[in-house]
Amino acid sequence: MRFPWNRRRREQELDEELASHLRMAVAERVARGETPAAAERAARREFGNLGVVREVTRETWGGGWLERLAQDVRYGARTLRRSPAFSITAGLTLALGVGATTAVFTVVNGVLLRPLPYPESDRLALLSYQPKDTPWSSAPGLADADWLSFHRGARLFERMGAASAQLVTLTGAGDPVRLPGAAVSADFFATLGVRIARGRAFSVDEETDGRNRVAMIGHALWRDRFGGDSNIVGRAILLDGVSHTVVGVLPPGLAYPFGAQVWRPLVIRVSPNLSFMLSVVARLRDGVTSQQAAAEIASVAGGAQPHSPGQAPRVAEVIPLKDTVIGNARRSLLVFAGAVGLVLLIACANVANLLLMRAAGRHREMALRTALGAPRRRLIRQLVTESMLLWIVAGALGAAMSVAGVRALLALAPSGRIPRQNEIGVDLAAFAFALGVSLLTGLAFGLVPALRATRPQLRESLAASSRGVSSRDGGVRSALVMAEIALAIVLLAGAGLMTRSFVRMRQLELGFRPSGLVTMTVDLPAASYASATAMRQFHEVTLAQLSRLPGVTSAAAVNFSPLGGALVQGDFQLTGGRSRPNGFLAAKPSVSPGYFRTMGIRLLQGREFTAEDGARAPGVVVVSRRVADAVWPGENALGRQLSMKDKPGPGDWLTVVGVVEDIAQRGLNGERDAAIYRPTAQLDETFFLEHMTFVARAADQPEPVLTGMRQVLRAVDRNLAVASIGTMDATISATVEEPLFQARLIGVFSAFALLLAAIGIYGVVAYSVAERTHEIGIRVALGAVRTDVASLVVRRVLVLVVPGVVLGIGGALAVTRVLASLLFEVKPNDPATLAAVAVLVLATAAVAALVPARRATRVDPLIALRSD
Amino acid sequence: MPKDERGLTRIELLQGTLDLIVLQTLRWGPRHGYGLAQMIRASSRDVLQVDTGSLYPALHRLEKSGAIAAEWEMSENRQRVRVYRLTTAGRKQLAAERSRWEQLSEAIAGILAPPVADGDA
Repeated sequence: MRFPWNRRRREQELDEELASHLRMAVAERVARGETPAAAERAARREFGNLGVVREVTRETWGGGWLERLAQDVRYGARTLRRSPAFSITAGLTLALGVGATTAVFTVVNGVLLRPLPYPESDRLALLSYQPKDTPWSSAPGLADADWLSFHRGARLFERMGAASAQLVTLTGAGDPVRLPGAAVSADFFATLGVRIARGRAFSVDEETDGRNRVAMIGHALWRDRFGGDSNIVGRAILLDGVSHTVVGVLPPGLAYPFGAQVWRPLVIRVSPNLSFMLSVVARLRDGVTSQQAAAEIASVAGGAQPHSPGQAPRVAEVIPLKDTVIGNARRSLLVFAGAVGLVLLIACANVANLLLMRAAGRHREMALRTALGAPRRRLIRQLVTESMLLWIVAGALGAAMSVAGVRALLALAPSGRIPRQNEIGVDLAAFAFALGVSLLTGLAFGLVPALRATRPQLRESLAASSRGVSSRDGGVRSALVMAEIALAIVLLAGAGLMTRSFVRMRQLELGFRPSGLVTMTVDLPAASYASATAMRQFHEVTLAQLSRLPGVTSAAAVNFSPLGGALVQGDFQLTGGRSRPNGFLAAKPSVSPGYFRTMGIRLLQGREFTAEDGARAPGVVVVSRRVADAVWPGENALGRQLSMKDKPGPGDWLTVVGVVEDIAQRGLNGERDAAIYRPTAQLDETFFLEHMTFVARAADQPEPVLTGMRQVLRAVDRNLAVASIGTMDATISATVEEPLFQARLIGVFSAFALLLAAIGIYGVVAYSVAERTHEIGIRVALGAVRTDVASLVVRRVLVLVVPGVVLGIGGALAVTRVLASLLFEVKPNDPATLAAVAVLVLATAAVAALVPARRATRVDPLIALRSD
Repeated sequence: MPKDERGLTRIELLQGTLDLIVLQTLRWGPRHGYGLAQMIRASSRDVLQVDTGSLYPALHRLEKSGAIAAEWEMSENRQRVRVYRLTTAGRKQLAAERSRWEQLSEAIAGILAPPVADGDA
């Protein structure tokens, strides 16, 4: 058995064998009386072509393909090295294309494709059992009573854990800071399959009041705030002012649920009037389907607590955990994947064009080799190998570049908007992808030039002039450039639409004046502020000090600030047998006096709240325009009464004293919410008072006001942490961060695509001019003027660009429909955008064709006619 | 295509037939490539001259399939020559090829022979 690495030895042996044959043949002839010289000649003639015999014999060995491949690769590398301009241009283009594609793939893989980092994560799901078709959408959740009955009674689930979101203030370890946290049941982490890095998870008896002064912290928190203390387990920390013992640290990268950094035991206090919704994660038993599981939920929970009539029917759902983590990112990511795919195609088309132009210069070489006996298949294989070499090297370079690309993507992306961000990294899958893409595109785009280059038209190739410029593949090249233009237009249209959408959002009228507004949100911990009175006092003191800050024109407070992420909506009752319109809900913020003035909200009728609207004064409300129009259409809303309670008693009726303009409460989606405002002084529930946002209008620069607000807070209560602080402009920007990011990314892709298309146009036009130099020389000699020559070139460009643009617009109309859900107040077939894109591409084509056109007009007929 | 000095023409052989000839010739004892070519020429009374472009691929192919085995030996004038010999498997293959050839030549002989006279024709 002979092995491939013995091949060289076998070749040597074969040579020896054939040489000995020849030797013996010569010897015999000499023995028969011929002269050595004649014997040599005759024997060689009889032997035949030594090279051919060697080749043919070697072929019987098999395994020659590896040899040939190595040979082709060496040859390809040599030819690429000989034309550095081409190699570098093509290589860079490809590297950028593959690099961008790999970067996007890495993100898509990390978010969409890879399973969650829990063992057998496809069996994990979120359980939900709540009314479905309500006006407000809610996250999947289980009522706490259902959780308790279910935890005991479910068969189809291996394990379950419940969680509830919390915000806790950490003090005593650096500045007081407000952290996202969660209250979790004892088996929560066991359900997920998470291994606790240090210490342990909670035990069941810690789920009771009095024994729940324990906590677990996340890896980042442990590292940043506690210096990676190895004695962290058992240490006491202050959460919301109460001492908790740390019992465990979670492994790095785990911030589930709700981005939590600190976890406490979940204590359930079931009360008949109030039910809290919990997020429940469950691990299904092997083989159990979601439908079976949902049916079990309905029967167990529904059986334990049959729903009361008048309440909307509850629907059981079992939602795979991965879907909830990915959320809305799927659509954006797929759009990016599509966009970057287009960029890659354009890059490949450009390189294919370059290859074609280069191959045209080599057709003499190919013709010669064919005439000398090389089979066409061999030549094609060689050219394809050369292309693949280029593609693979460029691809490897691109993969290396994608590392930086991924980092840039994640840095530019709105923070926290890309789910599973810490799981995204360039890894083996990404490199395999880059390699696969390179191979595929290299094969596809390298094959056609190879086929064209080796077309068997020997005579005309060999006889062609040594200029090396031929018009043979003009059709294919033009088609490629037209395709590039079309693809670039599709991308540009997408970018244009998203940019317009973003601008529209940004310019949205919100109903209040954001510029100059500064907000500071504070959550009051129940431990230090036990009563509504205490909270109100805090607000008054703080407000008073804020108003006195230098640079502040006015200050006010609101519990649910617009665009603040938290909102309470509800219904209300009316007097005199009136009913509000079906399903009509209003936001119910409570505000301090002077709120509307500070925010710049227009007062349409009546008055604002004043200091007189205190706890003992008659209850008053200010309604927004939509409420007035919906409830008292055509009438004067002032003096009317409504109540926030379901069954209002005589003292529960509130009088409308003012009507204000509607404002955007929830987000920049163009909607203005109906709102009913109450003065904070007249509120008693701590729930409505513990979360408060102070707004101040800065006369000048906001920064000194920001610092001042922090100082005021520290002065009023040293242990309070700021939940968030910033300018309203920044908050608005954050809201549109995502569309901005999307528009930017697609913008970058489309700019690159346009550049490539321009290069493609330039290449083709320059080539066309070069091959027609002779013809131009004749025309000029016969009296053609510069403009005539220029119009020649212009015609060539138009023939190229116009079909491409038409094709591109058609493609854009078809493709941009996909973007419809991401656009705001802009239609996918917006004619203005498409027109602008078409004009841009035409202008770019004109600029790209400028240089070759000038060169054409400068053709000296003497030189042109002489070089033949 | 140059003719041999003795005015003989070369006949191109089918690959299967060449295998048969090589194996049969090796039955008479191990030979190197040149010797094999000479012997085939001699045995066929100069009718068959196998050219190197057919012989050596055949030899290497047969070696790869195990019908023959090869070794380097020293010739009389102390030069290295590669000598081939028949293996057991080769003998079996030879027998099979031989019977196939005989069948074939019988069949062709039957076609070429004058037709059997029919009673009434």
